[in-house]
Amino acid sequence: MSPGVDAAWAATRALVYTVTGRILDVNPHVLVLGTAWGEQRFPLDPGTQAGRGGPAAPAALRRGDHAIARRRYPGGPVVDRIWAEVGRVTGTIAEREGPAALLVDEGPAKGRKLVIIGAEATGRIQVRFPRLEPGYLVDVIGVKHDGYLQALIPATSQPPYPADHPPTPPLVSGHVPDPVSGTAIWHEPGDEPDDLLGLAYPALDPETSCEHAAFAPPGCSGDPHATGPGCVRLPYLSVGSLLWLRNDCAERTRQLPVTSCGATARLFCDRCVTCDTSRKGRIADLTMAAFVELGGNLEAGCFNATMTIGG
Amino acid sequence: MLLAARELQIPLLAVMLLGGCAAKAWRVLRSRSIKAAMDPAGLFPLRLHRPIMMAMCATEFGLGLGLIATAGRIGTTHPSLPATIVRAACALFFLIAMGALNETRQRRPVAGCGCFGDFSDTPIGWRTIARAGVLCAAATVTIGLPPLHMPSSSTTAEMWLAVLAFELSLIAFLSPELGEILVRLGYSEPCELRRLPVERTIAALHASSPWRRYAGQISSAAPIDVWREGCWRFVVYAGFSRGRRIDIVFAVYLQARRPVIRAAVLDAHTDEVLGLAETREFTAMR
Repeated sequence: MSPGVDAAWAATRALVYTVTGRILDVNPHVLVLGTAWGEQRFPLDPGTQAGRGGPAAPAALRRGDHAIARRRYPGGPVVDRIWAEVGRVTGTIAEREGPAALLVDEGPAKGRKLVIIGAEATGRIQVRFPRLEPGYLVDVIGVKHDGYLQALIPATSQPPYPADHPPTPPLVSGHVPDPVSGTAIWHEPGDEPDDLLGLAYPALDPETSCEHAAFAPPGCSGDPHATGPGCVRLPYLSVGSLLWLRNDCAERTRQLPVTSCGATARLFCDRCVTCDTSRKGRIADLTMAAFVELGGNLEAGCFNATMTIGG
Repeated sequence: MLLAARELQIPLLAVMLLGGCAAKAWRVLRSRSIKAAMDPAGLFPLRLHRPIMMAMCATEFGLGLGLIATAGRIGTTHPSLPATIVRAACALFFLIAMGALNETRQRRPVAGCGCFGDFSDTPIGWRTIARAGVLCAAATVTIGLPPLHMPSSSTTAEMWLAVLAFELSLIAFLSPELGEILVRLGYSEPCELRRLPVERTIAALHASSPWRRYAGQISSAAPIDVWREGCWRFVVYAGFSRGRRIDIVFAVYLQARRPVIRAAVLDAHTDEVLGLAETREFTAMR
């Protein structure tokens, strides 16, 4: 790459608000994280909010937890938000075992994840997800454990349709609107680096990207590639395309690269109400680092976003 | 006149049944998944969707062909037993369809009937149910008809046409799909949403003058990278020019015929654009 292109890519990758790592030590005054650059210390102030499944004092976080924190000012030392072991599962319910265990299909690329709904969260989740049955969609946030997610918060309201019957979007005449508004959500890193700044795009070129390569395992109940374009018409792009994303709630904008396939986002025709009522449909599935970098709160699950295609 | 109206129902029902089956099959082929056409099976458990869908399509196909095959003279008795069985089965099929549509409307108010594939995404309303009722009545009146024959006089032919026009108008009025078809007939998908196989892009590129211009410098048989940005698909080939490794990037506009093609030559190591004069707009010569 040329120096100019290198600089543009470096700019898209630089985290100025977000830090990720393992908690090495924590007390009411200092958070010590083991990051990719070694041990880093971050002063805390009395206003710093922390969470591990629910609001908690920073000192209540555990050593060894994976944490993501947001600095108060770009590049500044003080962090004002810390999330520990936060996880999310978004997809189609493949199996239900008893009242509290769900096997959720996140699409051919991500596979299936086990979700356990604890007794304390059952009521809260079932109010928003009344149909915890195979074939219906689920989207929950909680605490990551070895091999499963302990669901604690519903990330949205359950769409009334089965996963393989999302509504058809209206036809577009002329060109696809640019910029486009809707909901931006986040996903767990999975195989990606924890500090990756990017997004999973719901409309990758079906001829060359994930739809082309995706392999739906036998009995896969929620292959999002087979369900049409979803409820937002987005222009086809490829992994590596650059776009601008604005958090309309925090009024913060970043240029982000498309880093993976976000076809599962097409199944949801929901709205985000973090600061206002967004337009219907998910337009971007951000990495955790990008979501936090843009000012999103992980426990909210989404923010109202405006996306502009082009570098 | 009554006999003419009754006789007309047989080809009409056959066309409706075969058309419904073809529209569902087309939807499956287009989306490359049978799940796309499972709206009519929405009342049943998920594991039964696929077999019910296949059975429904096979029934429509079988009844449509059966109506045509038994319309003429079979055997010596009139009406023949096969014709009566097919026509009664047809009436029963539409009667069940009426009930299923009504049930689906109550349980899943936003679901389309999927009767004619992609065109039937509109939520089920009284018109869709009434159409099934009309077709059920049409199938019932064909039971006991003698073998079909061509109109014996021009007056009879005119009567047939009049009945046909009336019935087609009635079915069109009861079909929410008609509006969808009219919209799609005048619809051109934006280039950003157009699905075009990579093979067609490559074929258009290989037939273009930019390709001929740079073919001598290209050293890779296949593209080393292909990606898409909205209306453009980019195809990169490795090459050599004046002793240095280069990347030749072709941008092909995503349209089926005579796409605009642009080309740029970059240094493979530094990505420096080499020779601005070579970065021009060309039109594919096909």
